[in-house]
Amino acid sequence: MKLGTNAWQRNLFIATFIIPTFLFFCVFTVYPVLQAMYYSLYDWSGSSDNKTFIGLDNFKEMLHDPIIWIGMGNDYFLVAGKIIGIMILATFFAVALTRFKFRLANFFRSIFFIPNVISVVVIGVLWNFIYNPQIGFLNSFLSLFTKDKVDITWLGFTSHTIWMLLPPAIWAGIGFYMILLIAAIQGIPESYYEASSLEGAGQWHQFRHITLPLIWEQMKVSILNIMMTTLNGSFVIVMIMTNGGPDNTTQVMGSYLYQMAFTQYHFGYGAAIGVLILVLSMITTVILQRLMRQETIEIS
Amino acid sequence: MKSGLSNPMVKIVFYAILILWGISVIYPLLWTLLDSLKNNDQFFRKMPWSLPDFPLLWSNFSYVWREFSFGDYFLNSVVVTIGSTLLGLLLSATTAYVLARYPFRGSTALFLLYIASMMIPFSLALIPLFFLMNSMHLTNSSLGLILVYASTLIAFGIFVLVGFFKSLPKELEEAAAMDGASYFGIFFRVMLPLSQPGLITVGIVNVLNIWNEYIIGTILVNDPKHYTLPVGIAMMQAQMQYRTEWGPLFAGLLITIVPVLIMYMFFQRQIASGITAGAIK
Repeated sequence: MKLGTNAWQRNLFIATFIIPTFLFFCVFTVYPVLQAMYYSLYDWSGSSDNKTFIGLDNFKEMLHDPIIWIGMGNDYFLVAGKIIGIMILATFFAVALTRFKFRLANFFRSIFFIPNVISVVVIGVLWNFIYNPQIGFLNSFLSLFTKDKVDITWLGFTSHTIWMLLPPAIWAGIGFYMILLIAAIQGIPESYYEASSLEGAGQWHQFRHITLPLIWEQMKVSILNIMMTTLNGSFVIVMIMTNGGPDNTTQVMGSYLYQMAFTQYHFGYGAAIGVLILVLSMITTVILQRLMRQETIEIS
Repeated sequence: MKSGLSNPMVKIVFYAILILWGISVIYPLLWTLLDSLKNNDQFFRKMPWSLPDFPLLWSNFSYVWREFSFGDYFLNSVVVTIGSTLLGLLLSATTAYVLARYPFRGSTALFLLYIASMMIPFSLALIPLFFLMNSMHLTNSSLGLILVYASTLIAFGIFVLVGFFKSLPKELEEAAAMDGASYFGIFFRVMLPLSQPGLITVGIVNVLNIWNEYIIGTILVNDPKHYTLPVGIAMMQAQMQYRTEWGPLFAGLLITIVPVLIMYMFFQRQIASGITAGAIK
């Protein structure tokens, strides 16, 4: 018997392997996504009798909701801060651990990835302890240099508290992108570097003219990935560390969605925030791709 | 040929940066261990970096394990992580195999649909997912979490495994078919064992993600009996406003971290290849 002689058997096989997965995918992924768009057109507190169709009113309301604007600002602050911080450090580490022939390079690489296998919840709690006003690391450390005990509430400033969430976010994100860039650099043929060494090119020159152009694709993927994961997922660290406070100044779109839906029972409005996150991440993807395409032309 | 850096000053500075970053990663883990052995008095009287007093309070571990139910959370996390990873692997490997080997009308579109779904922010689906699970009476249950987590694994699994199946030689399947093996027999007895490296890569990446997952866990579960570890820790931290027990909190963190650290030590290479496989777009 040869494969494919019995068409009926073959089709049965294909169906058994495709359909259960597809149904599963439809129920738990496609349906919720469509349902979210449907909910976003309703004013709905969660019970079935209190659901009224209001068209785009949820979205109109957002325009006048100051917390939405704060959340968007904070989200894009984190996106920008993480892209800059993570890309600079991850690129530096990736180059240092591959091109500079350090002893212990493999050891450092293993260590640097560790924050990526730890839950964001754990990372948030650890950094809360660093920032703790009474017994935290940062104040205790600063107190070594001052006469009086330092008692700054690092997570309680009336503005700019979102800045305090950037170090943990960068610290936790680097390893993943470093591994990605290391793989890219290792894919560059050694002969390129040998040829430029013969011409007397130094490390910086090699980085600028060989490494950077050849890993630019992976850097673009990384930047897009940082943007998407931040817009979609930065709210976990916000919820653990500040819960949006003080006074909603560290709210991001995701944490506001959670608060609206699951603590204030405005499920329609919450769903509308979800749609906003989707739209913004698509627009930002397109814009970033445009920007970075021009960049590539400049380099080559 | 030049190897490495020529300027010794630059070299020292670079080394210093690497070592500092290494310390910033290792040291928090070390102090988590040290602080998990202290009592409250030591936290308030002494510096956060000071060593714990003797006798070391290993009892903090048994205390969170029992009094704060971390034993239950741990078990829940293990059940949910293993269950959803196995289910997700089965669902994605079967479809990936057909997409790789038996293209049919619409198979490319189906593949693209799965890939495109990876671009959708998951926060969008949270609210409908809650009501969906609620209507199926699958909130507050490990089964509910297993189903949802398995579904989050499908797209990534298909993406990586289609590539993996395509890279395997066709001769073995043809030989097995000659011997009269059925389609199912070929898949389960020939292809699955051959694709072990791919399955392990996808599996490990997802085990880490699911073990560490917080937001779905907190939305679908509000009965402490069914908490997973990250949800349990977040709840414990929230309670700390009323009663402060820092030592046990750090013990709880360590209970959560140690299993993934052990996994990481054993599967470093697979994790790295999972990252690079997932990011080539």
